[in-house]
Amino acid sequence: MTPILTIENLQVEFSTPFGAVHAIRGIDFSLARGDILGLVGETGCGKSVTGRSIMRLLDENAKVSAGRILFDGMDLLQLTDTEMRRIRGNRIAMIFQDPATSLNPLFTIGEQIKDVLRAHRGSGRGGAKALAIELLADVGLPDPAQMMSVYPHQLSGGQQQRAMIALSLAAEPDVIIADEPTTALDVTIQAQILDLLRRLQRERSISVIFITHDLGIVAETCQQVVVLYAGRVAEKGAVETILARPQHPYTRGLLAALPRPGSRGNDLRVIRGNVPSGFERIVGCAFAPRCDYVMDICRAQNPAFSVIDSTHHSACHLHEMPANG
Amino acid sequence: MTAITFLLRRLSLSVFVFIGVLILTFFVSRVIPGNPAALYAGARPRPEQVEAIKVKLGLDKPLHEQFLVYVSDLLDGDLGESYHSRRSINTDLSIFLPATLELVIAAVFIALLVGIPIGVLAGAYPKSAFDYATRLVAIAGVSVPSFWLALIAQFIFFSSLGWLPLGGRISRDASLFYPIAAQTGFYLVDAAVSSNWDAFFDALHHLILPALVLSAYPLGVAIRMTQASMIEALAENYITSARAAGLSQRVILFKLALKNAIMPALTVVGLSFAYSITGAFLVETIFSWPGVGKYVTEAVLNVDFPVIIAVTLVVTVVYILVNLAVDLLQALLDPRVRLG
Ligand SMILES: Nc1ncnc2c1ncn2[C@@H]1O[C@H](COP(=O)(O)OP(=O)(O)OP(=O)(O)O)[C@@H](O)[C@H]1O
Ligand SMILES: [Mg+2]
Repeated sequence: MTPILTIENLQVEFSTPFGAVHAIRGIDFSLARGDILGLVGETGCGKSVTGRSIMRLLDENAKVSAGRILFDGMDLLQLTDTEMRRIRGNRIAMIFQDPATSLNPLFTIGEQIKDVLRAHRGSGRGGAKALAIELLADVGLPDPAQMMSVYPHQLSGGQQQRAMIALSLAAEPDVIIADEPTTALDVTIQAQILDLLRRLQRERSISVIFITHDLGIVAETCQQVVVLYAGRVAEKGAVETILARPQHPYTRGLLAALPRPGSRGNDLRVIRGNVPSGFERIVGCAFAPRCDYVMDICRAQNPAFSVIDSTHHSACHLHEMPANG
Repeated sequence: MTAITFLLRRLSLSVFVFIGVLILTFFVSRVIPGNPAALYAGARPRPEQVEAIKVKLGLDKPLHEQFLVYVSDLLDGDLGESYHSRRSINTDLSIFLPATLELVIAAVFIALLVGIPIGVLAGAYPKSAFDYATRLVAIAGVSVPSFWLALIAQFIFFSSLGWLPLGGRISRDASLFYPIAAQTGFYLVDAAVSSNWDAFFDALHHLILPALVLSAYPLGVAIRMTQASMIEALAENYITSARAAGLSQRVILFKLALKNAIMPALTVVGLSFAYSITGAFLVETIFSWPGVGKYVTEAVLNVDFPVIIAVTLVVTVVYILVNLAVDLLQALLDPRVRLG
């Protein structure tokens, strides 16, 4: 089956008064139909920029300097603004980190859902209200009929995110990009929202790109994972294999830095050094300056992907060494 | 709290503001040097005439008694009589106030109806040619003196093109052949309710130029305020999520962002409305518009205190009402604003 969404050699840079910021330095991955794909990495590695590139919602100073984003046989980067508007919300929807500021404070939840329905389902549909109530019920909001006339500030954080999810589902999209949808919430609420997302994804067979820096969430939620480092893909593949047998030294470092049950705080291993800044031109492997296994070639040449197995790829020169097999 | 109780509470608070203004203007006007009785008596009065008038007007009594008399007249709805013309101020204002209100309301409507959409688009497309053109218009509207604008407008639309009349509220022909039955004093309203369409369009014709000239300042303000708050609103997360939901640019700008951005413009234009009641006198003079501005300017030049106090009180009431309307509107637009 062809993937529903494929990103090929995407490169994004921002022009700033201090020079160009290379936010995405060429990434490739694809999202299989019905999968949840986790996009992980440290802060600033380009997760949100990737999501916004797909939606074509980058800031004004951004430029996609190379690449293709293939969706349903089209390259999204080539669409006109009007064509792209019909994709947004309708075919690909997005959920954001902070539900409190992502909902419009001056409109009721019902009005905001109806706006989405009107935009994609045409106006004059008498069923809009019934449909909206149904959605609110489906995302687990209590008393959905009454929720229609409630304003965002009258809801709790978790309820706001449920309302956001209802909004994103309104036009029945094929793909949802969820950018850290639980980061702003309490831990117990986080679990509920994750459950909800998993259930809706299953019931409606939606494909999801789940942006997070929490590998624990990836383990529970995703089938595929893409590990980003400094605007490049370090490692990607099925979640079980990558979490069980990480190949890239960066992924290993990330996993070692995870708190484990029973471990003390000082058992945590932190990766030494810093992420390269977006202003730097990177020659060789982006992770080389921080890597325990660094070799001469790492500083000279950007590693290509090695196929670990058919679903597991890692970009590291170590895999090319005969000794490492 | 409901809108009604909110209104009542705010109105009762406003009574104190009104009383404060009343006390202040009354006593300041009595303390300022001058001889009102001599003014009242006309040219070259004899001293005993002036004394007689002082007694007649109660000016010989102590200040607090004069004040009580004034207040009790006020409570009867009587604003007194002009020392200069000896006419009843109530009668004068019943002519001048509607004339001014009609003019100022028209100007404010033009400013909002034209200025807000322009501000929305200028805020949506910053640094575009439209944005720069708009800035020019806004700055000109705020900074070009109104008398100069008025003269230019008369030159173009009366002298050169002959499209619009030079001044006045209605032409002599219309007032002779289609007299407007006075009810509210608003010509447009009075003509419309009596289906006197000839007079209606004649009055409208006369209203256009002065209203346009008077709208220049609030128009510039409305454009700049709307533009600035649109830029702010458009940077909010809820706009990004609206774009991500595929909503049209029209809905995003004129519904979702504008509702968040409209209040500053409404507030400032509301205040300029109250200011224009007396501030329009240059425009009123140039267009021979029989309004409050002209009326109170003459009163000031003649040191005609009863008129000055009366107009001050009227303007105070307008300020109070405008502020109330702005607060109410804000509460209507924003569910987070609690009435109270
Ligand atoms: N408008 C912009 N102008 C300049 N640089 C930008 C802009 N937006 C993003 N960047 C840069 O792009 C890089 C990637 O940012 P991005 O928001 O994708 O990070 P992220 O992986 O989502 O991080 P986080 O986990 O903190 O959300 C960062 O270095 C950031 O500074
Ligand atoms: Mg991010």
